[in-house]
Amino acid sequence: MRLRIFRKAPDQEETYRVYEVEPHHGMTVLDALFQVHDRQDDSLSFRYSCRGAVCGSCAMLINKVPRLACRTQVAGLIDETPMKLAPSQSIGQTIGWDPPTEVLIEPLPNMPVIKDLVVDMEGFYAKYRRIQPSLLMREAGGRESLMGQDILRELELYTNCILCAACYGACPINGTDPKYLGPAALAKLFRFSIDPRDTDGLKRLELADEPHGWWACRFYTNCNKVCPRSVPPNIAIGRARQELKEKNKVMKGET
Amino acid sequence: MMAAISAADQGRDVAVLSKVHPLRSHSVAAQGGINASLSNNLTKGSDSWEAHSLDTVKGADYLADQDAVALLCQDAPRAVVELEHMGTVFSRNDEGKIAQRPFGGAGFPRTCYAADRTGHNLLHTLYEQCMSRNMTFYDEFFVTQLVSAGGRCNGCIALNIANGELEGFASKSLLLATGGHGRIYSHTTNAHINTGDGAALALAVGLPLKDMEFVQFHPTTLFGTNMLITEGARGEGGTLRNTSGERFMSRYAEHAMELAPRDIVARAIQTEIDQGRGREGGFVDLDLTHLGEERIESRLPGIRQISMEFAGIDPVTEPIPVQPGQHYSMGGVDIGNDCATGLPGLYAAGECACVSVHGANRLGGNSLLETVVFGRIAGNSMASSAERSADPDMTSIKGGLENESRRIETKLRREGGERQSTMREDLKQVMWDCFGIFRNEESMEKGMARIREIQSRMGSVSIDDKARCFNQALVEVMELEGMVRIAESVGLSALYRRESRGSHFRTDFPNRDDREFLKHTITTVREGGLLISYSPVRLGTFAVKEREY
Repeated sequence: MRLRIFRKAPDQEETYRVYEVEPHHGMTVLDALFQVHDRQDDSLSFRYSCRGAVCGSCAMLINKVPRLACRTQVAGLIDETPMKLAPSQSIGQTIGWDPPTEVLIEPLPNMPVIKDLVVDMEGFYAKYRRIQPSLLMREAGGRESLMGQDILRELELYTNCILCAACYGACPINGTDPKYLGPAALAKLFRFSIDPRDTDGLKRLELADEPHGWWACRFYTNCNKVCPRSVPPNIAIGRARQELKEKNKVMKGET
Repeated sequence: MMAAISAADQGRDVAVLSKVHPLRSHSVAAQGGINASLSNNLTKGSDSWEAHSLDTVKGADYLADQDAVALLCQDAPRAVVELEHMGTVFSRNDEGKIAQRPFGGAGFPRTCYAADRTGHNLLHTLYEQCMSRNMTFYDEFFVTQLVSAGGRCNGCIALNIANGELEGFASKSLLLATGGHGRIYSHTTNAHINTGDGAALALAVGLPLKDMEFVQFHPTTLFGTNMLITEGARGEGGTLRNTSGERFMSRYAEHAMELAPRDIVARAIQTEIDQGRGREGGFVDLDLTHLGEERIESRLPGIRQISMEFAGIDPVTEPIPVQPGQHYSMGGVDIGNDCATGLPGLYAAGECACVSVHGANRLGGNSLLETVVFGRIAGNSMASSAERSADPDMTSIKGGLENESRRIETKLRREGGERQSTMREDLKQVMWDCFGIFRNEESMEKGMARIREIQSRMGSVSIDDKARCFNQALVEVMELEGMVRIAESVGLSALYRRESRGSHFRTDFPNRDDREFLKHTITTVREGGLLISYSPVRLGTFAVKEREY
């Protein structure tokens, strides 16, 4: 099986190199990258940790779709029917890629490349920090606060996020607006705003009440489609906008 | 991160170094839960921290230090409530309280959980709490050496992986919280990053490692990839069956059945496989089909996802193929109940350390608990000792930087040698073959010879990548150097313990021998070689008995 892999080192031109790997039953893209690194070229760099789709280290662009390398099996990647995503400026054509014979592996878009498949995620994390992701406990007694199943289910939708940034790489808005907070950070902010234990609650939504926050989203829903945890940032964003609109109405004295 | 939080809350200047971004740490993969005697599930009556202690000590096959276990269990309810107050979204029972389920070796349903993603939820919560505190993170910094001079730890030298530059860190108190060394085994649930770095660093500055022969093999890992299938799956009612459909645990633990401690269930499964009652390839069935889709979806969604994605099996309709695999390192850096090592200024906590609260076999749900309880203790110890201690010796840090810089240049200059990857594969295979679930003198002797042979090849390892930026191979070589040392320590400790206790099972010495071996194994580096000695177990309230389940 042939892999066409994006390569880039500091002070060197971007290039693609083709490697032949020996596939085995259940082989994932991460396994294939290790095979290249271990047997052919140890200068190939990529991030990895859990290999079980829980740590969020290895999101990359595989056949033009942002996904976790450890969760994607190589069988089926040759000439696959691509997932339908809204086009993004940063996911363009790759000259020389031959889908019927090759798997294409590239770094996650919308972040600068450090080396090969390793991107600089500082911008992504900075946006996560900007939404102030720490619960402020309303009142902390000696026992746990009580929580019903309905709110639990809703919170779980968002706490399942592993911050792999697949959504951030897939989002067309992140591709054109570098200041856009992006789906992961907004979903996280929404998660805190609906937590009944939080002192600030819905007031938190104001943190992203700006052109590069809630209002930048155009509901392409690439974020939800590529999420390995089925987190729905698009729903969070829609609900947040609704809340803010309601609040503004009240403030203007409308009913 | 719990240590960082508690030291920061006391006004100390805190930095966290990690070879991966902190959210990629292996705690994220813990599934089943965290134990605390909250008594939220009263199906077996009211729980207590004393009952939790007894279960832990008994599960440990009496090798745990009972005063340390008391610290762990007594603080557990407070620690879990604190995590809830910090924002963890725990699963809830009908009253809205934190839900608790039965786990192996436990007399009460005391394992609190966030579906089967408890570690993920706790790790994210702690990282979130770090964000609102004043501390500095150095992500993707690989520590290559601890700087010990003047009878204390002055800090460490670390490689900034992104640009390949070495940096010195001076500290009054330094904590090792690097996790376990599961990756020295070929079949492991552990993340790729679990290479025992902290224990290797401690060993290199002359500190002792404790109870390294005690390696936990988890009974249920997914056949093939060895991805963890939580004990919670059995806690929710999952059953183990061999090829003839028999619930074979009745022959090994007639009362506890599938919820006997992990060492017992792992040996039972391996025995079924070895005696030809497993399925072709070497696995047995974990049957959840009777639980129904709704319960599987609400309590074990991650298990369903893993089974479908990595084995093509939906546990709602088919049993999950499982086999035992390495899971946890009970042994580690020898520390006291305050998390201090023998070197002033150096601390250790979590899986890389050995207090010992897990003794010869850890109970499920006690490892996340250990990280938060002893993480807090470590943070407090570090903060108060930092207040008293003098500034670290900067010249020793400078000297360390020069040494490490030479060491790395030598590695990068070497040409035409063996790749680290082949040596790593060899090591993992030796450990699985010779120091696995069942051990004996003859195969362990052979294993020791093979480990030493691998060690002798280490000097010729070479790296093709000569650049500095994100040189993954360079990090892997340095990890491997530590792994070989750790493997030797595990092997030698196992060879010298001529009895069977907890996870350490010797076919040539199948019984426990309290007269000779109710003691901790200590390994230290002396004149280049490893030396074995022993230290007493701190017993207490609970008398040493035969384990029955």
